[in-house]
Amino acid sequence: MNTKRLTFLAVLTAAALGIFIIEAQIPPLAPIPGIKLGLANVITLWALYALGARDAGLVLAARILLGALFAGSATALLYSAAGGALCFGLQLLLKRAAGEKNIWALGVLGAVAHNAGQLVCAAAVTGSAAVFAYAPVLTASACVTGLFTGLIANALYTKLKDTRIMQGL
Amino acid sequence: MKRSGFIIIISALFAASTGLALLLPRIKHGTTANIYRGGECIYSVDLSLVSESYTVDFDDGKSHVNTVEIAPGRIRVLEANCPDGVCVNTGWTDSPAKPIICLPAKLIIRISGEAPDGFDAVTGAAR
Ligand SMILES: [Zn+2]
Repeated sequence: MNTKRLTFLAVLTAAALGIFIIEAQIPPLAPIPGIKLGLANVITLWALYALGARDAGLVLAARILLGALFAGSATALLYSAAGGALCFGLQLLLKRAAGEKNIWALGVLGAVAHNAGQLVCAAAVTGSAAVFAYAPVLTASACVTGLFTGLIANALYTKLKDTRIMQGL
Repeated sequence: MKRSGFIIIISALFAASTGLALLLPRIKHGTTANIYRGGECIYSVDLSLVSESYTVDFDDGKSHVNTVEIAPGRIRVLEANCPDGVCVNTGWTDSPAKPIICLPAKLIIRISGEAPDGFDAVTGAAR
């Protein structure tokens, strides 16, 4: 990994962390810690296409760890990691099928998977399936916010693809 | 996969979840509030038999205390010392579609048709 790429990944992580912390101030949609709009996912999703799975995974892991340090707690880390891992795993799996034209769709499906991971985590912690009562409202909202983040990531990728920013990375 | 494939899948997901999210809260079967900790029922009360509000403290023995207000036909967490305050912010519930969850205390309040098997619901009269 060259210096430019390393620096670039650090900037991306800082941007994702900034979005994550601002978002943490918005009241949650459901009584599960860590459930939010998922705007920081724009960065991970764009990085997955522009920089590849390894570096996108690095940025995601760094954001989750630092995010828990700055804005959350050990439990928040658990939920964040469960959601993040499921979201990223699904996007990784579907990257080829989606192609460059359907990055937006991975934004939606990733957001749905993110919430699902957190719900499963909450169900495990409480030893109760009661939390799944919030699955429909979370899935519906994930579709809307995921479309938003997916379209941004899609546009970013298309616009930046052949620019000087990407040269030498 | 083609764009249309993704559009169909996502539209179906959105329609189904929105439909469920709108329909589920309308289902109002059951007036019994069951309170669980770590998956085990620790308290049960028939809210339809409550005539006057009262509060019960639930202490998990690890410094988490949730003060639950039991009122005629509805229930809420009035006060709690959990860090996130999510359980208090959830407010009142009278529907199975809206359980109250306190993750730090592993406490769940769930509306249901009856008390779990082998558990006697308190009559709900103010004590
Ligand atoms: Zn709480």
